[in-house]
Amino acid sequence: MNKELEHSFVTNLEQNQNIVHKVCRIYTSDQDSHNDLFQEITIQLWKAYPKFRGDAKFSTWMYRVALNTAITLYRRSKRSIKTADLDTMNFKIKAEDYDDEVEQQLKLMYAAVKQLNDIEKALVFLYLEDKSYREIADTMGISEVNARVKMNRVKTKLKKILNP
Amino acid sequence: MDELELLKKDWKSREHGLPKLSYTEIYQMILKKSSSIVRWIFIISILEFLLWASLDIIFKLNGMQAKVEKVDMGSFSLIASIASYCILIYFITRFYLNYKKIKATDSTRVLMENIIKTRRTVKQYIWVNIGFFTLTILATMAYMVFFTDEFQNRSIEEQAPIWLVVATTIFIIAVFVGFIILFYRVVYGILTRRLKKNYKELEKLEV
Repeated sequence: MNKELEHSFVTNLEQNQNIVHKVCRIYTSDQDSHNDLFQEITIQLWKAYPKFRGDAKFSTWMYRVALNTAITLYRRSKRSIKTADLDTMNFKIKAEDYDDEVEQQLKLMYAAVKQLNDIEKALVFLYLEDKSYREIADTMGISEVNARVKMNRVKTKLKKILNP
Repeated sequence: MDELELLKKDWKSREHGLPKLSYTEIYQMILKKSSSIVRWIFIISILEFLLWASLDIIFKLNGMQAKVEKVDMGSFSLIASIASYCILIYFITRFYLNYKKIKATDSTRVLMENIIKTRRTVKQYIWVNIGFFTLTILATMAYMVFFTDEFQNRSIEEQAPIWLVVATTIFIIAVFVGFIILFYRVVYGILTRRLKKNYKELEKLEV
């Protein structure tokens, strides 16, 4: 039974690992921290898995656990306190993909997101993932109105960071 | 906001660049132990319970108990002992129930609240203990000063240091309590600073 559970969990996670990587990308700035956080999220997902009943999609269920781990449960090691290293592999932009101006703008945007606090990062992440305000509110445990207002504030804050 | 839309497009297009872990690598990960804040809170809380619960034994081993018994406070120490164990059982039960409620599948807000509640239980236990400890010392001292022959039968010259005894005891208690407060500030600070900050951020009411 346990082996079966392990197998179905690992298979599920393997297929949906992008979600976890993306959370790690938002919350960490170097590869070691990325791996650390990925490890902790995996443990938390595994711990919660026996209660996963399939009433939601596995991926939907993952967002919540992954974000909760990043915001609340994960204990950052010292190295991740370092200021954001903008040119880490995750954020490198291939020169051929973008023209200079867009590339520059994107770099600044990613840098600005890195300056947000943990809660704001979660909002931006869910927004980037195309989640509805209803889903954002459910995940964070706040009202939908609250989620909208907070998101607007984050947008304003990002604007301020980009155009001081 | 145009920039955020631009970012969203880029964010999606960059998915193919994400790392890809194999089945075996993920399997290895589920065998490892969590290093989450909840695990740390659990370990530290258990240590705190053990430490305070074992103070009784430490006293006995030190021979303090014998000294207290010599003073003959009747059933006071027995009652104190029973009360302290009842308090311990009450707090451990509450701690356990709160701890069980912590689930990564709850919403962020509920999860944070449950962690804070669990930690608060231990904090309350510590405070009850400090209060209990202080009360016991004061009661013992008062009893010794006012009711034991040793103090009552002394001549006036010998009685002079009573105020000194009282002052010293209060001073020692104050230093002790001060030290514990400082210690907990540091431990709590390290463990829950980020959690509390994030919780406040989430709680902030909109204007």
